[in-house]
Amino acid sequence: MIANSVVETDWPEEFSEEIEKAQNALPKKIDANPKTVEKGLAKLVLTLIELIRKLLEKQAMRRVEAGSLSDEEIERVGETLMKLENKMNELKQIFGLKDEELNLNLGPLGDLM
Amino acid sequence: MKLYLYGIIDSSNQITESIYGLEGSNVYNVPFCDIGAVVSEISQPIQDVTEGAVLEHEAVAEKLMANFTVLPARFQTIIDGKDSLLSMMQSYYEDFKDNLARLHNKLEFGIKIIWSADKVKKSIVKALKKGEQRMIDSSPSKRFIKEKFEKYKIDEEFEAKADRFIKVMDIFFSKFASEKKLKKLKTDNLLLDAVYLIEKDRENDFRETFEHIKSGPPCLRYLFSGPWPPYNFVVLSKKSDFLRDSEQADLFDKVTKCQVLAGPPTQRLVRRAGVDSI
Repeated sequence: MIANSVVETDWPEEFSEEIEKAQNALPKKIDANPKTVEKGLAKLVLTLIELIRKLLEKQAMRRVEAGSLSDEEIERVGETLMKLENKMNELKQIFGLKDEELNLNLGPLGDLM
Repeated sequence: MKLYLYGIIDSSNQITESIYGLEGSNVYNVPFCDIGAVVSEISQPIQDVTEGAVLEHEAVAEKLMANFTVLPARFQTIIDGKDSLLSMMQSYYEDFKDNLARLHNKLEFGIKIIWSADKVKKSIVKALKKGEQRMIDSSPSKRFIKEKFEKYKIDEEFEAKADRFIKVMDIFFSKFASEKKLKKLKTDNLLLDAVYLIEKDRENDFRETFEHIKSGPPCLRYLFSGPWPPYNFVVLSKKSDFLRDSEQADLFDKVTKCQVLAGPPTQRLVRRAGVDSI
């Protein structure tokens, strides 16, 4: 039996690679079993912290862009964000997590980040 | 005997032509009121998602599409028996009827566009450097903020540029679409992953528009696919495990990928879903 749908492209390998990347970006389910429960929980908690960290960072960038931060404030915000990022990197290393793993698939709403 | 569900159709009549599905089983219609569930008997659950099985499922859905309006079922939808099937049909009857009416005479087409994220970002960096404002970067904290700000501006412009490209493309494609779903930047390179629902008699206009768009900026790479059963446009009012969920859209991508991979990589590819006769 032959189906009729046509897939037409001059760049099959590039598209195949990108489709694969998009599909593999996030796991469909959280892997929660006795052996990996600690890592699974750490992943969930760090994902939420990462979301808050990114929101803080974005807000800071908006304020830098708007010119509403004084020199001292830039210094303080920079130090805080830098420490927060370093701490996150440490925690990711401890739990063996990569940046791309810190995300959640919210189904029809898309990805958390 | 368990039943493998391929889709729901707008007919309660038996299928007149011979269609063979997974495991080479005969495909038939189980009527419920004025609609039907198209199934074949299956002896065991499908263990692995193989290219062959995905394409077999897809081939059945497409074969049905030639004569009926089809709500394609999720790949690997197995129902315990006829009683369970009829009970499911009863629960979702109104939903099925609404969808069948809405999707009547309509086909789904996919358009994917790739751009080179690296090149786009390089051009943004170049443009931003021209208008760069000096920020005093004496301390590590300020240097950190400066770096983050540069990245923020690049990302912001990258997104804005993607929006502008997509808006222009979509103006052309939307002219012929009853419904659409657009996903921007699923990956940095995958600028657009779109599905359009097109009336059957506007199919040629849509294809011509695609050919016209394709002859535009050489920096963009295109993938056109279809006609598909409306995988991405079935909307159910209550949650279902067999028709529309995130895995359903995945099947669309799986079929696309299977077909893309089946072709010669270095030359122009016009690939039909090559499922052998069973």
